[in-house]
Amino acid sequence: MKALTITAGMLLVFVFVWERVDVVRLGYQIERLKVQKVLLERERDQLQVKFSALTAPERIARVATEKLGLIPPQQGQVLMVNQQREVPSPTLPPVEQVRLAKHVSTGRVSE
Amino acid sequence: MTVGPSRGRRYVMLLLLLCGFSIILFRLVTLQVLQAAELTAKADRQHQKTVSFEGARGMVSDRHGKVLAMNVEVPSVFGVPTSLESPSTVARHLSPVLHIRSGELEKKLRQDKSFVWLARKVEPEQGRRLEQLSLDGIGVVMEGRRFYPKGPLLAHVLGFSGMDGQGLEGLERRYDSHLHGEKRVTVLQRDALGRTVFPKGLAEQVPTPGHALTLTVDEVIQYIAEKELEEAVTHTHAKSGTVIVMEPQSGAILAMAVSPRFDPNVVAALSPDRWRNRALTDTYEPGSTMKVVVAAAALEEKVMTPGSMVFGENGHMVVANTTIHDHDKLGWMTFSEVIQKSSNIGAAKTGMVLGEQRLYRYLQGFGFGQRTDIDLPGEVSGLLKAPKDWGRRSLASISMGQEVGVTALQMVSAVATLANGGVMMKPYVVSEVRDQKGRLLKEMLPQVKRRVVSPDTAQTMTRILEGVVTTGTGAKAAIPGFRVAGKTGTAQKIDPRTGAYSSTQFVGSFVGYVPAESPRLAMIVIIDEPQGEAWGGAVAAPVFRRVGEQILNYLGVSREDTVKIALATKDY
Repeated sequence: MKALTITAGMLLVFVFVWERVDVVRLGYQIERLKVQKVLLERERDQLQVKFSALTAPERIARVATEKLGLIPPQQGQVLMVNQQREVPSPTLPPVEQVRLAKHVSTGRVSE
Repeated sequence: MTVGPSRGRRYVMLLLLLCGFSIILFRLVTLQVLQAAELTAKADRQHQKTVSFEGARGMVSDRHGKVLAMNVEVPSVFGVPTSLESPSTVARHLSPVLHIRSGELEKKLRQDKSFVWLARKVEPEQGRRLEQLSLDGIGVVMEGRRFYPKGPLLAHVLGFSGMDGQGLEGLERRYDSHLHGEKRVTVLQRDALGRTVFPKGLAEQVPTPGHALTLTVDEVIQYIAEKELEEAVTHTHAKSGTVIVMEPQSGAILAMAVSPRFDPNVVAALSPDRWRNRALTDTYEPGSTMKVVVAAAALEEKVMTPGSMVFGENGHMVVANTTIHDHDKLGWMTFSEVIQKSSNIGAAKTGMVLGEQRLYRYLQGFGFGQRTDIDLPGEVSGLLKAPKDWGRRSLASISMGQEVGVTALQMVSAVATLANGGVMMKPYVVSEVRDQKGRLLKEMLPQVKRRVVSPDTAQTMTRILEGVVTTGTGAKAAIPGFRVAGKTGTAQKIDPRTGAYSSTQFVGSFVGYVPAESPRLAMIVIIDEPQGEAWGGAVAAPVFRRVGEQILNYLGVSREDTVKIALATKDY
């Protein structure tokens, strides 16, 4: 009985010590992960700034004109096409969205 | 009988013990009582680490979520002069990395201080190179730096923030209470090796970042406005220029361009004059664009109809011992033609028919002499004197846009009122404020200020202003495929040396809206002191056309000659 009590006591002490050690170990691990998170967030922010700078309209226009040789459309070269709906046709096969100019139809159209 | 130590030896032992204990007691009192505070602080410095966390400044994005301003953590470099053996050697190593002269760095490192900043908020690559150098007494900490990734785009509206993250100009200043992050100081424990021990609840202690702003501005429209304005200012060798594009139905600002531009990423070397938002802070005498307001007032008060006949006095009329001139010798003309031909004499006569009180009431109604209350700092109210302070010529002068100072924003708001059927909207640039989790905290909805004129008057004015573009002075503002309504303005500036109107310095402007029948945008173009031809119709109207055409294409607004294609569709 005495031996059992001592063993149980020692076990409890061991569990307590193990738990404390593990808490400290996990603390370090969390600290490492937090540092990693901060570094990744920093990198994400830097990439976002870079992305934002690269997609600036001024830069896109410069690349389009200087590198790709594009020019802005001249008068009469832009033709807006306005979509009008007609009476629905029952024979039309189902298809995905149709995108025409800037107007999007979510209905089904003939191909 | 046992013989023990002699009494003398016992006393000696006792004395030695007493001395020993006294020394220990004295030391104990010294450490625990007398030096307690100092030693506790010293121990805390060794075992604790005080860290100041500052939440990142909130992001600013355009109406489509394109980032216009955001914070990124970058390295700041500091030195500990007291721990340096050879400041000159360290300075020589640092100089090529920080791009600062070696002598300047050495001067800082020789100071009798325990901490000096050497360079704040440098490029990440510089920080990496410094870490590789691993110099004793030189450290790197991370600090939030404000980036404006689009460079000069919208700079006059965005403004900029200071080195310590405080908003100094523009939206950064106006919305600083929302944008700045929370500052929190936390004490962390360090182990024997100096590593930080993760304390309980630290995750909850991370400071909250600032709120994010979403603007009404569209970066593409802003770019179009800035590009065309910059070209016009360069081409006309003008002093400066302004373009404002507004949504008439809501008052939302789609673009606010000011020339010359500046890059908010590098403001240190610039004078305040460069970053002033002239669209709100500068007043100018509007000249003929003011005739729009006078005409609307006359129609609303039914003292004129579009067909009313007005005599142009063959180009000159004497008022209060001064002569008012027109650019042509105009005779009889309809009231519509007064506006379309931009007759000063016709406008002066209209003002006289209206009378001082009525004209003043409408000028106030259209928002002159008062701030628009746009959510940007630095707005001025302009100059509009009360009738009791008017001179004998004032009624005529104000009717043709003199003796009154307006801002570009006031003028475009007034004309947008006509585009909106006579209802004036409050202009605004921020549409939403959200927290770091994207939750909506504040939504700015369009606000009606007041009805100024009836829908009928607004519609009649639209027809008259369309005539300005089709047959009048604003022909160069015409956009093929769209009906444009607008008015040109050419105002003489006051020469500061003589106090009289200058014959060489002008402000050319055009203000209008398009499509006239269902306006999508109201716009003002102001070119300040163009060289050579200075007429608003020659310098500002073409900018209106170029900007308007590109924006309408971008917005996908149908032209009158739009090809209509019928698609057979079926809804399920």
